[in-house]
Formats: sequence, C-alpha cells, structure tokens
Amino acid sequence: MNVAVTVDAREDIPAWLAYGTPVFTVLAALAVSAIALVVLDVSPVAAYRTMFVETLVTEFGLSETLTKAIPLILTGLAVYLPLKAGLFNIGAEGQLVAGALAGTWIGLNVSLPGLALVPLMFVAAAVAGGIWAGIPAYLRAKWDVNEIITSLLLTFVALEIQSYLLRGPMQGGTGNFPQSDRFSEAATIPELFGGVHAGLLVAVCMVIATYVLMTKTRLGFEITFVGSNDEAAQQAGMSKFYVYLLVFVVGGAFAAMGGISEIAGAQGRYRAGFEPGYGFTAIPIALLGRNSALKVMLAGLFFAVLFVGGSSMEVAFGVPAALVEIIQALVILFLITAEFFKSYRVGIDLKRGPAETPAHPQRGDD
Amino acid sequence: MVSFIAGLLDATVQAATVLLLAGMGELISERAGVLNLGVEGMMLVGALGGFITTVVTGSHWLGFGVGILLGMVLALVHAFLCITLKSNQVISGVMLTLLGTGLTTFFGSGWVEESINGFPQITFPLVGQYLVGIPIIGEALFRSTATDYLALGLLVVVWYFLHHSNLGLEMIAVGEDPEMADTMGVSVFRLRYLAVLIGGGFAGAAGAHLSLAFSQLWVPGMTAGRGWIAVALVIFAQWRPRRMLVGAYLFGLLDALRIRSQSISLTLGPDAPFASVINPIVEFLMTPQIMGTYPYLATILVLAYAVIRTKSDQLAVPSALLQSYSRETD
Repeated sequence: MNVAVTVDAREDIPAWLAYGTPVFTVLAALAVSAIALVVLDVSPVAAYRTMFVETLVTEFGLSETLTKAIPLILTGLAVYLPLKAGLFNIGAEGQLVAGALAGTWIGLNVSLPGLALVPLMFVAAAVAGGIWAGIPAYLRAKWDVNEIITSLLLTFVALEIQSYLLRGPMQGGTGNFPQSDRFSEAATIPELFGGVHAGLLVAVCMVIATYVLMTKTRLGFEITFVGSNDEAAQQAGMSKFYVYLLVFVVGGAFAAMGGISEIAGAQGRYRAGFEPGYGFTAIPIALLGRNSALKVMLAGLFFAVLFVGGSSMEVAFGVPAALVEIIQALVILFLITAEFFKSYRVGIDLKRGPAETPAHPQRGDD
Repeated sequence: MVSFIAGLLDATVQAATVLLLAGMGELISERAGVLNLGVEGMMLVGALGGFITTVVTGSHWLGFGVGILLGMVLALVHAFLCITLKSNQVISGVMLTLLGTGLTTFFGSGWVEESINGFPQITFPLVGQYLVGIPIIGEALFRSTATDYLALGLLVVVWYFLHHSNLGLEMIAVGEDPEMADTMGVSVFRLRYLAVLIGGGFAGAAGAHLSLAFSQLWVPGMTAGRGWIAVALVIFAQWRPRRMLVGAYLFGLLDALRIRSQSISLTLGPDAPFASVINPIVEFLMTPQIMGTYPYLATILVLAYAVIRTKSDQLAVPSALLQSYSRETD
C-alpha cells in the first residue's frame, strides 16, 4: 500500500490554533516532564500543585515570583527587540553580566544619596550592557559577521571576566568566596511593596516603552520593516545599519538593567553565579512572547513562576530544581514543533502514491 | 622545568581530545548545513550515560558506546526539528543544550559519589614502548588513554571521508547548495540526517571521554563550556579538519596552561626597562580567568577577519548553513 504524507502551506491560521498554541505547548511540556517525576517516585499532581498553586496563593510565593520576573522580563525584551529586526541576540546573558558588573562597581565605589546613586548604577549598567551588545551589532551591521555566534561567544568572555573580577579587584567580604562587598543602604534598590523591590517599576516601564515604540512610532515600523525585508526597507530609505545597532544596543541595555536590579534589589551583593542563566531563559521568553512586548511580560511572569515553584518543589519533595530546565526546554521544543503544524496542513493519504519529484525544487529560506 | 613541560603536554593532549571529538562532530554537521548548538547538552548526556553504564557493568568501552548512542538520540531530536520540521536551528540547539543540562542534573545527582575504573593509561601499540622514552614529549604522546588515540585516528577518517569519499563530498554539496545537490540526485534530507546523527555521536563520545578517561568521575555540568568551545573551534578552524587539529591542540594548550599559570613567571626583572609598566600587564594577561577568554576572543577575531577580508562568496562558511531545505510542490 502506498502511503503519502502531504504537507501544504496553510493560507490562514485558524484563530484557535494561533491562541491555543502557547497554552497547549506548556501543558504538553508539563505532561512529558511528569515522566521524570514518576521515575523519581514523586506524584506529579502533588509536585505541580506545590509548584503552581502554592506559588500563586502564598504571599511569599507571589513576592518571589514578581522579584524573579524583573530580570526575566528585561532579558526577555533584550532578545525580543533584536528579533523584531530579524536579528538573534543569544548573548543576553553576557550583556546582563557586563551591566551588573559595571553597576555594582558604581554602587560600591561612588558615594551619593540613594536617590542619585541607584539611577546612576542603572545608567552605568545600561551603558556597559549596551557596549557589550554593540560589538556583535556593529560587526553585523558593518561587515555582516554573524551576530548569533559573536553575541554567544562574548557571553563566555563576560562570564570569565566576572569570575576574574570577583576573585580579584572586586572581591570583598572575607575574601574566601567569589563575591563583592555588600551594598550600602544608599546603593540598594528600595522596596516597593511586600518584599518586591522598585526594579519592578523599571521592568514595567521598559515593557510599556517597548510596546509604544513597536506599535505607535515610525521607528518601530522601521524596525519591523527591516526585520521582514531588509532589502525593501533599504530601498525605502531606511538605514539597516542604524536599526541593527539600535535594537542590539537597547536590548543589551535592557539585559544589563535586569542584572543590576537583581543584584542591587534582591541579592545585596554581587555573587558569582547569582542567577541561574536568566539571559538564556530570555530566549524562550522572547519566543513565547514574540508578538508583543506585553506578551513578553506575561511569558517572563510564567517563567518566574516556574523558577520559584521549582525551588519550592525541591524543598518539599527533594526533587532537583533542574526539572525547571527540562520544562523550559520542552516548552520551546514543543512550541517550534507546533509552529510547523501552525503553518502547514499535514495530511496522510492512504491511496495516492508518493508525490512526484518537482521539476524545479526551491530552497525554503528561513 | 622538564617535568613541568611534560605535565603540561600531557594535560594538553587530554584537553585537546575532548575538543577534537566534539569539534569533529560539529564540523560534519555544519558542513552539511546544520548548525548544532546542542553539543554541550549532548556531551553531558554522553558523559552521564557513559558513566552510569560503566558503574553498572564495569565496562568502560560499553559506557563509551552508550555515551555515543545517547548523544545520537538527542541529535535525532535536533535533526527532526531542523530538517523535517524546518525549525530554527539556533533555537533547537540552544534548547537541546538546556534539556541535556537539565536532564543530567536531574537524574545525575545520585551518581556523584560513585567511582569507576575508567580508561587506563596505555602505551601506544607496537611502537609505543620504544618511543615513550623520548624525553619530555614521549610520555605525553605515547602513554595515554585509548580514546586519545581514537580521536586522532578518527580525525584522519573524518578528513578522508569529507574530502575524498563520494558520500563526504555529497555531504559538503548539501551544505553548500542543496538544490543543486538535489537535482544531481543526492538526497538532501538523508545526508543531513546522517551528518547531524554523526555529529551527535561525536559529541556523546566527547562527553563519555570526559567522564570515563579525563576525570573518571561524574559531576553535574562537568563539561564546563567545552561544548561551546568546540563550536568556536569549528569556526576558528574555518571548517577544515586539518586546521581543527592545530586549533584543538592550541585551545587544549591554553586550557592546560591556565590551570598552571600561577607557577609560570614571565615577568621581567625589576631592573629591566619598562618593567613597572609591562609586568602588571603580563600578570593580568596570565590570570587563569583572563586566559579563559582567549579561545572565544581568538574565534571572534578569526571570524571577523575572515568575513571582512574575503568577499562573501568566497567564505569558508558552508553557504547553506542555517537554511532549511524544502522542495516546493507546485
């Protein structure tokens, strides 16, 4: 019997599929991760209950979630904005670290009242993060050097420099650990409400600013245009060079602000490994929320719940929090699988033979 | 001094093998047009799988085989997503690294205390017993683990395969110009699947070598970024196996040096001219963490230099890298 699988491009995406996909992929990822829990003899229902329900109903859980969401939303934007211009910033982690280091240095070495010092720390972080992101952006915009590779490699350079500084010039405390001195009162981001620091305001403002930029301004239109067809955009008189540089530098500044918020708001000092790779989690966040900055915020909140819930689950059941990494990866792997079914209609035809070889094969260009 | 250099060379060979194995896999996959950023995850899966198998069965060769197999399983997911479903190769790769890290941390935490009888140091067969006596380099080159020799042997195989066998040349064609290859009757899908699976097997082998020969223990996250260095190495080597040999030993030497950099003094005497200016710079450049940035910086420079100096159509980068291929059915 001949079985033929036919794959046809969909002309329009049904609404249920467009809106249901993120929800479906998250559920599928949780279902598959449940297997890992069963292997360790833990009831998935009880574990997920702890992970989600207890995180969302307790005051502590909510406050932790909002705090963790700050760097996640900001790094998410750092990937989202370049993505809109057709660029891939997978080095948000490095930009976060570069910015956090610069901001920490200001916080430890400049004495000003808190109202001036904290904003100065944010500015220093944003400048450092912007410069760190500016290197791959300039190489791409000027000479077409692949920004994916360079931004990624610069992340590891930043991590080594972090390790150097925390064991050398910036090391503080008793000198036994790779960490800086504690911040003074003035260098600490003040509390906003219920244990959540004011970095949340920064994150929300940046989400709104990005949303307005992308939906209401001419510049946002240019970014989208360059992202969808850079040659046409250039013929229309837009500068690809300028747009590429802008989205990356602003993105790097976002990631950097996420880094300094986490340190000056939640941690109180710079500790090596102070964050579990938010800059990499930013990639799934930006992908889940790629349609709008507001969705990036929602995706950031969702991943914050995962992180906080993962730690509570570790405490309650002795299950390694690495389950969170598995869930994260599966969400995105299912999402890109679903992308395919969203854009193509797959049918299985039991009667017809295999499709004939077309006379003029063409390359599908990503 | 002699023992220092001998020790350094020995560590260089060991570090280079990891990079060589992982790098060869990445090179094959990229030559066929598929970037694999999941190497780090595939290495971790190979390292843990190989370790557990060796603990349970006592056979390090069986462990090595399981490591290869598990690397291929993860690579199969990458191949399915990138080749069949035409998903973005970068996203799939990064997520597979995350998945591999998560899975091995999750399931590997109970195996940290275990110990194994890993690959023993052996003298190179036949001629080794005569050559091992060569001062300084003898021990490093001719008394090593079997996997060190295997990696070098495989490099010759990979070089011959890619540049002198029909299948290898077809694979390169698929990475350069898939539609042309397709019209010539080469199956783009089959060859890309093959390349990605071979790549995953190599990454798994690199991981298994790490846990069974290099450190002979399991620690979560033990690859410590070596998978990313392997990705860098392929670019540094400009996608050529012979340059990769040089690059792997260069990066391996840097890795070996940074652990030992505290015991080397390259600073000038206090009376030398400009000593007060030069010495702090030299000391800074020799700090282990600063030395850790060199492979990445060197790769960025090589990449930028290659792109800037050559016209884009003469680049060593496989032309169809990152592009999925589909036949348009009209």
